[in-house]
Amino acid sequence: MSTPAIIVVIISFALGAILALLMIPVLVWLERRGAGLIQDRLGPNRTNVGGFRLGGVVQSFADVIKLVLKEEYYPKHISKGRWLMMLAPVITFVSALLAFMVIPFADNITIAGESLRVQPLPVDYGILWFLAIGSIGVIGIFFGGWISHNKYSLLGASRAGSMMIGYELPLGLSVLSFVLTYNSIDFNTMVQWQSQTLFGFLPAWGMIVQPLAGTILIISLFAETNRAPFSVAEGESEIVAGFFTEFTAMKFAMFFMGEYVAMNTASAVIITMLFGGYQLPWVTTDTLLTNFNTFAWTLMVVLPIIVTLIIRWMRKNNRVRPTVTSDGGRAFETKVLSIAMITMTLIVEGILLYLTLIPSPLGSSIAVTLFQIATFVVKLMIFNLFFILVRWTLPRFRYDQVQHLGWYYLLPLSLFNIFVTAIVIVGVSL
Amino acid sequence: MLENSIFAILSLFLVIGSLGMISFKHTIFSAFSFLIAMLALAGLFALLENSFLFLAQIMVSVGAVVVLGLMVIISLGSIEKNIPHEPYKFYWIFISTLLVTPLALLIYKALISLHAHFEETREGYGELKSMGERLFSEWVLPFEAVSVLLLSAMVGAIVIARKEKYFKKENYFDNHNQQEDNK
Repeated sequence: MSTPAIIVVIISFALGAILALLMIPVLVWLERRGAGLIQDRLGPNRTNVGGFRLGGVVQSFADVIKLVLKEEYYPKHISKGRWLMMLAPVITFVSALLAFMVIPFADNITIAGESLRVQPLPVDYGILWFLAIGSIGVIGIFFGGWISHNKYSLLGASRAGSMMIGYELPLGLSVLSFVLTYNSIDFNTMVQWQSQTLFGFLPAWGMIVQPLAGTILIISLFAETNRAPFSVAEGESEIVAGFFTEFTAMKFAMFFMGEYVAMNTASAVIITMLFGGYQLPWVTTDTLLTNFNTFAWTLMVVLPIIVTLIIRWMRKNNRVRPTVTSDGGRAFETKVLSIAMITMTLIVEGILLYLTLIPSPLGSSIAVTLFQIATFVVKLMIFNLFFILVRWTLPRFRYDQVQHLGWYYLLPLSLFNIFVTAIVIVGVSL
Repeated sequence: MLENSIFAILSLFLVIGSLGMISFKHTIFSAFSFLIAMLALAGLFALLENSFLFLAQIMVSVGAVVVLGLMVIISLGSIEKNIPHEPYKFYWIFISTLLVTPLALLIYKALISLHAHFEETREGYGELKSMGERLFSEWVLPFEAVSVLLLSAMVGAIVIARKEKYFKKENYFDNHNQQEDNK
């Protein structure tokens, strides 16, 4: 391996770890604030470090410290297999984390004539890896449910297992029709296929080419992540908390964080397979590279506008009620964050200006890669928000409704979709 | 050197997992050992750069066999008092190991001399694409025969599991009429 290859691998691996792990506190915060928004209240917004609240994200870090310092408690009736109780949440967490590691964050970057993948694990069988590793997660739930020696835990684990078996089939079959369409099992090739256009004006996103399979994929991924409306495995109103009833402190936190990592992974797979991945619609990587000056000038105009809007929004909202006299350091926080944002914008503008005035192929390809990573992160956040909105607006399905939906509707529909896709593909190729 | 040490670690896990599978008393710990053994086997396939076998191993053995096995364990609710008492288990394991040793030696010798009878692996060995191409060109008849066999097994399982009244015609109508009467 050459030096640039090693650097790209290390950077993309670090990026994958950061995107998966650092996203957890942000997502927990987003979920609680989103729930607050929907239920007409505020959510956590007061915890701060020296006046810095960051809108309340600090609360998640405080929660983590609390959970780490909490006593490791094992119920008395669990005589054997405490090590398995310790290990069960880790299995769920690690499998969700590993499944995230095959998502491409940007198109292949060409350095010194060598095409390098910007993908934490540079493999060319991404979707198979996701299906294989993603199916391990439920094993942790099984172990956790069984080792608790508790009726509710056992019920929760068996519900999770049978739901997983029921939804793995529609998931696999809808993925199969996408594999037929894209003619590849590599995530990056899928995204490249999606960056072309249909009939000259529609972006060829998976959701537009295969609406039925796309819908089935999204529904099955919701079920795979065990989130509402498919959260029958932990249905609080029926079986206390399902498989993690007996889990406390960090053992519980691992299950909890595993759910958010799984949600993040599911959003990443949805945008990679259905919504064009790291690409903007109508813009391919080649277009960006050949028209680099136009792209850079557009970015240099758009970026200050976005930053100005964010700063104005922050100045309007980051303040106390007029009746409260003490400001709690909020004006100072707004000031520091504004200065930081303006400085970063100026640095980016300077780099872009330098690249337009003194063109270099390496610099422009790195800039395009960074832009694609930014697009990916924005899309990822949008779909995580979608997951959160669905959770707080839809009621939980009853258990028999979940099974009915999986076996009677999604499975036949996905089989039908494969036949139609195969007929169309053969018809086109004739 | 690195390959050898990875191989040693994975084989250690495979052996420990297989031993635990037969020696644990609780079924759930046996299932855990089985999981360890299957993952170690997948790792060995990955060490051979055979991505197809690696993924198929994880998907089938871990994603399907272990999950369904755990499903059965949970459904049966194997609590401690229901597990049979086996005081002489380790003697039996020891004696059967002694009995199987000559056979194991034979298999070991056969495996050791196996590589001399095959040619070197070709370019693209073990990749999904070449695997699929060969499966659907040279081996298409056995492949399809196996799929028909699996289909017939599946139909058989469904027929056994289904209640009789749905495929015995006269009974079906009897039940149907009764239901009508009840209404």
